[in-house]
Amino acid sequence: MCMELQLGLALPSTPPIPIKMFDLNSYGYEPREALGSNILSWPLLKLGPCDINNINSSSSSSSSSSGGSRKRGFDEVVLFDENRAVPKTLPLLLWSNQPNDEDDPKDLEDNSSSAIFKNDGEGLVGWPPVKTWRKKQRRQIPDGGAQNNRVAAAADNGCGVRASNSTFVKVKIEGVAIARKIDLSVHHSFETLTSTLMRMFGISDENWKCFRLTYLDREGDWLLAEDVPWRTFIRSLKCLKLIRIRG
Amino acid sequence: MQKKMAYSFPDEVLEHVFSFIQSDKDRNAVSMVCKSWYEIERWCRRKIFIGNCYAVSPRIMIRRFPEIRSVELKGKPHFADFNLVPEGWGGYILPWIVEMAGAYPWLEEIRLKRMVVTDESLELIAKSFKNFKVLVLSFCEGFSTDGLAAIAASCKNLKELDLRESEVDDLSGHWLSHFPETYTSLVSLNISCLGSDEVSFSALERLVGRCPNLRTLQLNRAVPLDKIATILRRAPQLVEFGTGTYAAELRPDVFSNLAGAFSSCKELRSLSGFWDVVPAYLPAIYSVCSRISSLNLSYATIQSHDLIKLVCHCPSLQRLLVLDYIEDSGLEALASSCKDLQELRVFPSDPFGAEPNVSLTEQGLVAVSLGCPKLQSVLYFCHQMTNSALVNIAQNRPNLTRFRLCIIAPRKPDYVTLEPLDVGFGAIVQHCKDLRRLSLSGLLTDRVFEYIGTYAKKLEMLSVAFAGDSDLGLHHVLSGCESLRKLEIRDCSFGDKALLANAAKLETMRSLWMSSCSVSFGACKLLGQKMPRLNVEVIDERGPPDSRPESCPVEKLYIYRSVAGPRFDMPPFVWTMDDEDSALRLS
Repeated sequence: MCMELQLGLALPSTPPIPIKMFDLNSYGYEPREALGSNILSWPLLKLGPCDINNINSSSSSSSSSSGGSRKRGFDEVVLFDENRAVPKTLPLLLWSNQPNDEDDPKDLEDNSSSAIFKNDGEGLVGWPPVKTWRKKQRRQIPDGGAQNNRVAAAADNGCGVRASNSTFVKVKIEGVAIARKIDLSVHHSFETLTSTLMRMFGISDENWKCFRLTYLDREGDWLLAEDVPWRTFIRSLKCLKLIRIRG
Repeated sequence: MQKKMAYSFPDEVLEHVFSFIQSDKDRNAVSMVCKSWYEIERWCRRKIFIGNCYAVSPRIMIRRFPEIRSVELKGKPHFADFNLVPEGWGGYILPWIVEMAGAYPWLEEIRLKRMVVTDESLELIAKSFKNFKVLVLSFCEGFSTDGLAAIAASCKNLKELDLRESEVDDLSGHWLSHFPETYTSLVSLNISCLGSDEVSFSALERLVGRCPNLRTLQLNRAVPLDKIATILRRAPQLVEFGTGTYAAELRPDVFSNLAGAFSSCKELRSLSGFWDVVPAYLPAIYSVCSRISSLNLSYATIQSHDLIKLVCHCPSLQRLLVLDYIEDSGLEALASSCKDLQELRVFPSDPFGAEPNVSLTEQGLVAVSLGCPKLQSVLYFCHQMTNSALVNIAQNRPNLTRFRLCIIAPRKPDYVTLEPLDVGFGAIVQHCKDLRRLSLSGLLTDRVFEYIGTYAKKLEMLSVAFAGDSDLGLHHVLSGCESLRKLEIRDCSFGDKALLANAAKLETMRSLWMSSCSVSFGACKLLGQKMPRLNVEVIDERGPPDSRPESCPVEKLYIYRSVAGPRFDMPPFVWTMDDEDSALRLS
């Protein structure tokens, strides 16, 4: 990488913070070029026209009087105005006006750690930016809590709300007082889930016809599992129940 | 003549004059006038705010300001809120308390944000400061109700105990009973973050009853609805109240008792809580709604039609925090009823759902921006946005000072034109001249940073995610935003060039966070070596960064200025890019 250091150059004329600016020279570095000259000749970036004004007039033609004439486009804006009261910065690298140009190592992109998609069960880490505390609090709130009575009814049935980070859900079977728990993370289809349930409750193939698999969804409604695709089922599932078909 | 008079003022007079100067910024300016003002000011400074606990050491603080009564400290980077800072990163308060215990026996106030507070720290506070009055812990962690019990038992003049959104190990609900029966000075108590374990309700009730100056009381979810009326009747002077669980079987006697208790609270201005709300109980607060200026419903799952009814009863509302269940229709009602609204935060009810579960779009925010002329501060989570909506918002509300928009799917363009949202956010920074805080989201190119660098001259904090194409974007921000203090960036293709070209800018800022960007380890090393006043910390959970090629990007980078030098409490996954020759140079 051609990283041309401009060491010891151009100490700011006004120190950006009221502490003594450090001086690279005093640390034994030799200035390579004349002091300051490079800063003063910082490139004026020539940028395309600003299209904010265009949008202004197109989106709200009625208020176009305020748009247009008084606003500056970017082509009129001097981005590195030497006279403005900004602390000038000491560059460790001279801005070349060509970011990410060809002298960047090619392997940078390959090694790039950008957009790390870590799977913590919720997709992208830290996105959307919802406070972890808020998430925790929300987790305890029944989803779709506006239908409180229904959720309350669900709780009465012995099916608490599934914590979103748990892969275990309760399974009840009609007529049996004690519920069991099942790990959903090991199942990827109705077939494996069904055979596990049959084994768990000792139901034979013939008897299986006498049962229907129902589930409690986020809204607190009991639905037939066979009516929905597996993915929908697994996403909104809170609790399972096997009911017997009568007659 | 004037000059002579200035010098003839005795120190005591100047000290008295300085005591009227409240803002930290003004106090700093005063101390810069001359050596004698510096001396007088440092002896009479009672309040200090430290935005980064690693920017200075407790000893440096104590040496300069020997008479501090009130300390406010911040620890972890803001992105810690979103799990981006690994556990064990740092931000410990104990070393500060230890030093202050010796130097400031008359310390009265400690306010902490994102710091690790152990029970030991709390016990030391309780033991060390004889006239301790205020403890505010927001987004803090590491302590339990045992530590709180120590505070309750020992701090006889405690006025404020505010736990905000801290993560407290809830060992026992009986800590409240450690407040002595003679204790009556409580003004503000916020325990809303405590877990759902049993709260000692009798202790709470007695405490509330014997503190005549109690103004703020924010309860946690463990307090059931039927206790709310009892509490309110004991403290009708409350100004801010946070309910616990707001759910019960609907019974007319419970309802009328609750409504009666609320209506007797003539001073109420702020309401929060409403966990598990049963909407049928909401009309119980209608009688106080006309005076309510702040409403936090961000944990209340109330559907749009109930929210509309509620909002229409609150014409004085200045601050509303709400879930997106409010929908566009609710925001339109808000826009037409609440003309004093200054702050709106809309949180997602299902942040991880791919598809919107409610009808909340850009239209709701446009309506509020049009209808609420005092709107200054916005935090808005939604699934879709357009440039023209953003331009409308900017034109409607040039008085915005804080604008945080989160379009939930990363890199989502204007859903009508499929263009990037550069022009929309450009309009925000162009029109809102006093904008101090901005969070970007959606599809954005380097152009938006050009707008920001050009127009956002008062911007102090900028959050960026999944945006920009090249170093040019970051360069625009660092070279253009002259007031920038905090910059946090994740998942952007910004790299070495922009950072190194603007190295000295970093000394003017409080901190820079970059994670999952393209900054190489070599550049971090260079920055650390050439900028001795900057602490350049690489956070990499993959192992030592020098085990990889120097061109390899670092996982996370946190840069901040410091007069204390590199910190000593780094966990094994943090490396400081220290000047290797520093020892030589000092000798």
